[in-house]
Amino acid sequence: MTAVEAKALIKDVNPAQSGGTNLLHILRGVNLKVNAGETVAILGGSGSGKTTLLSLLAGLDLPSQGENWLDGQRLNDLDEDGRAALRAGRVGFVFQSFQLLPGFSALENVMLAAELAGERNAESSARQILAQVGLQDRLEHLPHQLSGGEQQRVAIARAFAGKPRILFADEPTGNLDTVTGERIIELLFELNRAQGTTLILVTHDAALAERCRRVLHLRDGQLHEQEQQVA
Amino acid sequence: MNKRLALRYAGRRLRRITSAGELRVLALAIFIAVTAAAAVGLFSDRMRGALEAQSGEALGADLLVTGREALPADLADAAEQLGIQTLEHLNFPSLVLAGDNTALAAIKAVSPGYPLRGELRIAPEAFSPAATTRDIPKPGEAWADARLWSELGLQTGSQVQVGNLKLTVSAFLEYEPDRGVGFVDLAPRLLVNRQDIADSGLLGPGSRVQYTRMFSAAANSLAQLRKTTDLPPALRWITPSEARPEVRQALDRAGKFLDIAVLAVALLAAVAVALTAQQHGERLRDEIAVMKCLGASRAFVLQAHILSLLLLGAISTLLGLLAGYAGQAVLANLLAGLIQNLDLPAPALGAMIAPAGLAMIMLLGFAAPPLVTASGTPPMRVFQRSAENSGSTSVIWATASLAVLAILGWQTRELELGAYVLAGSAAALILLALITWLLVRSLTGLRHRGGLSWRFGLGNIARRRRRSIGQAVALGLGLLALLLVSVVREDLLNAWQDRLPADTPNVFLINIQSEQLDPLKSFFAARGYDQLRLWPMARGRLVELNGEAVTADSFEDPDTQRWINRDFNMSWSDYIGWDNKITEGEWWGDEADGQAWLSAEEYARERLGIGIGDRMTLQFGPEKIEFTVHNFREVQWDSFQPNFFLLAPPGVIENVPAQWLTSFYLPRDQRSLLRDLMTEFPNITALDLEAAMNQVRSIVDRLVQAVEFMLLFTLLAGLVVLLAAIEGTRGERARETALLRTLGASSRTLQWGLLSEFAVLGLIAGLVAAATAQGIAWLLAVQVFDIPYGLSPGLWLISTLAGAGLVMLFGWLSLRGVLRTPPTRVLQGA
Ligand SMILES: Nc1ncnc2c1ncn2[C@@H]1O[C@H](COP(=O)(O)OP(=O)(O)OP(=O)(O)O)[C@@H](O)[C@H]1O
Ligand SMILES: [Mg+2]
Repeated sequence: MTAVEAKALIKDVNPAQSGGTNLLHILRGVNLKVNAGETVAILGGSGSGKTTLLSLLAGLDLPSQGENWLDGQRLNDLDEDGRAALRAGRVGFVFQSFQLLPGFSALENVMLAAELAGERNAESSARQILAQVGLQDRLEHLPHQLSGGEQQRVAIARAFAGKPRILFADEPTGNLDTVTGERIIELLFELNRAQGTTLILVTHDAALAERCRRVLHLRDGQLHEQEQQVA
Repeated sequence: MNKRLALRYAGRRLRRITSAGELRVLALAIFIAVTAAAAVGLFSDRMRGALEAQSGEALGADLLVTGREALPADLADAAEQLGIQTLEHLNFPSLVLAGDNTALAAIKAVSPGYPLRGELRIAPEAFSPAATTRDIPKPGEAWADARLWSELGLQTGSQVQVGNLKLTVSAFLEYEPDRGVGFVDLAPRLLVNRQDIADSGLLGPGSRVQYTRMFSAAANSLAQLRKTTDLPPALRWITPSEARPEVRQALDRAGKFLDIAVLAVALLAAVAVALTAQQHGERLRDEIAVMKCLGASRAFVLQAHILSLLLLGAISTLLGLLAGYAGQAVLANLLAGLIQNLDLPAPALGAMIAPAGLAMIMLLGFAAPPLVTASGTPPMRVFQRSAENSGSTSVIWATASLAVLAILGWQTRELELGAYVLAGSAAALILLALITWLLVRSLTGLRHRGGLSWRFGLGNIARRRRRSIGQAVALGLGLLALLLVSVVREDLLNAWQDRLPADTPNVFLINIQSEQLDPLKSFFAARGYDQLRLWPMARGRLVELNGEAVTADSFEDPDTQRWINRDFNMSWSDYIGWDNKITEGEWWGDEADGQAWLSAEEYARERLGIGIGDRMTLQFGPEKIEFTVHNFREVQWDSFQPNFFLLAPPGVIENVPAQWLTSFYLPRDQRSLLRDLMTEFPNITALDLEAAMNQVRSIVDRLVQAVEFMLLFTLLAGLVVLLAAIEGTRGERARETALLRTLGASSRTLQWGLLSEFAVLGLIAGLVAAATAQGIAWLLAVQVFDIPYGLSPGLWLISTLAGAGLVMLFGWLSLRGVLRTPPTRVLQGA
């Protein structure tokens, strides 16, 4: 079963209304197929287009050309709400900048994701997963009352709360110190293993990438698969 | 996406409302608008209900005809044929003597059966328990009311003299139903039997008798009577609902003030709501993007946010309605006492529909549009802050403004006034924006001079020209509201109150014969009044216009018909008072003596459609004189000075029978002069206007208090707009200052920078607001309230300084916290 598939994805952007007439070619024909349960790392330098690719794969944005599928659905056919509905309960996100809802407590942030995923017992499963990331005592805290590492743990709990089949992570440790970052990565992989989630992780940390089954390099707008030692 | 989830989400967001300062301001704005609208709406509704429900009791009958001349005799016959009860009574002012005391009283001479509706209440002694009675004073007896009782020092059985009539006071009159329809009657009451009047000598020529015929019957017979009877044009049917128009007039004026206050509150609140919703929408964008990543559809996001908005709005509205309920009680307390016998019905819940609707329009029309725009935020924004969708809210806002106007127009039944205010506000806004733009542009040159903080502050304004202009306009609007409130309070209300200076004449003498002029002058000169100005007065009837005969039938308009059917009171003089304003042509000098010129009041122009140079022929007894209209005047009729519709130069109407009249100010302690006067000149009638003037003064005072109460809300709404304008950039400024601090700017520098920015914004806003406020105040004064109004330069200075001060203060309060917290916290939390 294919979780994510992309054929000849091209993304051009018009560098804004600032008078620039030249199109910026960020992605120039990306092909990718990720099977359910795989863990994939996408490596690439700053500005190489990793985030852009991730947003296309998750259906947050549409490619300029080419087509892609998410959980078997062709994204090009769906409008924005359709893509959102597809994500609900199937896709989880972990962002470099956490992106917790500022007015919501840790518990509410996690619950909301579970609820949007159609979870019945959103609250108990949210509590449970927050306990799993070690935040059982901080349930009622608001994001600004938590440290960066704690916020990211809430974000991870939120990402897994909807029991997603596919998890997208964009440099989840980018804003954290090394030790905290490692703890976060442990957690991510642990939950990933437990739930059998497909993981697509963007990073420029080679060591982190090594923990994934497949490692892809984004260079000049194209993906290159790294030869893989058998796990 | 399910609705329950949206509701739960909305509820959760609302609990954290404290984290979104702009939502608190939004809720406050709605609360204030609803409170103001509900207070005035409920009160006006009660007042309207009371006036409409006013029963025949207030007239003492179900229908009246009243006039200054004896009423047609067939009126009574016609009524009796239809089985309608009918009675006639007379009213006239007269001096009443009791021992050494005198008082000017309103004499009412009634026949058995009076009143037809309601009952008199009398007591044997002053202020002792009263009982209702169906009787009237027996011939030779009189009943006096409380004021007369105390002014004359009466006892039961006291003798009083009216004209040459001697009467025994046999009862204390506590209540007469048709007394207090409007303002408490001008003079104290003496109720007498009509039989006595016939031979009292009081009804001679020159007396000021008012004849009133009362009718009472079922509504359909009365309708029949009105249909079958042709009243002479000078007379009019009076039904209970149109008794005492002057009450309605005064209340109308106060009502206008109140309505304007509510309109201003609503529009200001709408601006505050729009401002805060705009900010809220901006802030929501990040959150919405995340929600969409998590799989929420636009519809769900919108539903959730609109729901939380509605929840918030419902709470504010509910609280506002409660506060408004309390507010109407305050208004009712202040104003209802002005009218006797007026039972205010309980506040009708129906009158809360309009304020609640107003809140709804504010929520859906002003608060929702930015949320609708924000709900379209693409999920890409989680990665790319610049990702945004576009959407314009201005059309919706314009529509919503009209909706606010419509609903308030519906509530106040004053659509025209509302349109005035709205157009005025729109013009004011454009003016504000324009002047602000010019001022901000001109700042650009200054930003490279001065200290670091100053350059930073000014630089902020110049760099963000659009934001600065927007903010200055919003600030200007808030200040404008504050200014208008104080202008209205200080200038307009005072002008209204001060229309009657302290030495306004309080006694009128009428019925003075030509041969009494010299004796009268010496009478007054002997008592220190040598400035007495005596006005001649002749009664003439309009018979020809430009040489063509006219009668009432020459005019379609019933008001005109009624008007020209009466004799005109005409005078001649080479002098006009301050209360006359020439509107066209010129006042005359000596050259006019003996010229048949005419100075006409504007009303005459309006009724007769005449212009300068037109010829009017008036008949005085047997003599006809043709006048040429020389100028037009506008008379301030409530100045308590003698005034005339038509004036001629001296030396034209000399041979016509004339009476004279005069007015003067009589201090309280010299009232004995009146007694001497009556003894020496028994035929002269003195009208004591003191009571009437005090009445007018106290009524205006009460009305002013009520208006001030409502202006308080306008003031609050203005402050809320200020708050919204400053809170609006708080987040942005907080981040900006935090960043600058991490870059090494000292917090002192930033502090002064911010303060100088706010100071300049405040100065600009204050200046612009002053200009606009003067314009609007002038418009209101001259166009709406008919009150003279001049420029006040002090206002400009105060406004500009107060603007700068207030904005600095608010800005400082809003950002003080930001400057104190470590920058990292700000940057993290943002
Ligand atoms: N909407 C846009 N308008 C203009 N340029 C854009 C837009 N979106 C992306 N870019 C540009 O495309 C390039 C790729 O951006 P992207 O964010 O995907 O890179 P990245 O690999 O994630 O970089 P990093 O490792 O720094 O996060 C960048 O040069 C970026 O400036
Ligand atoms: Mg990136």
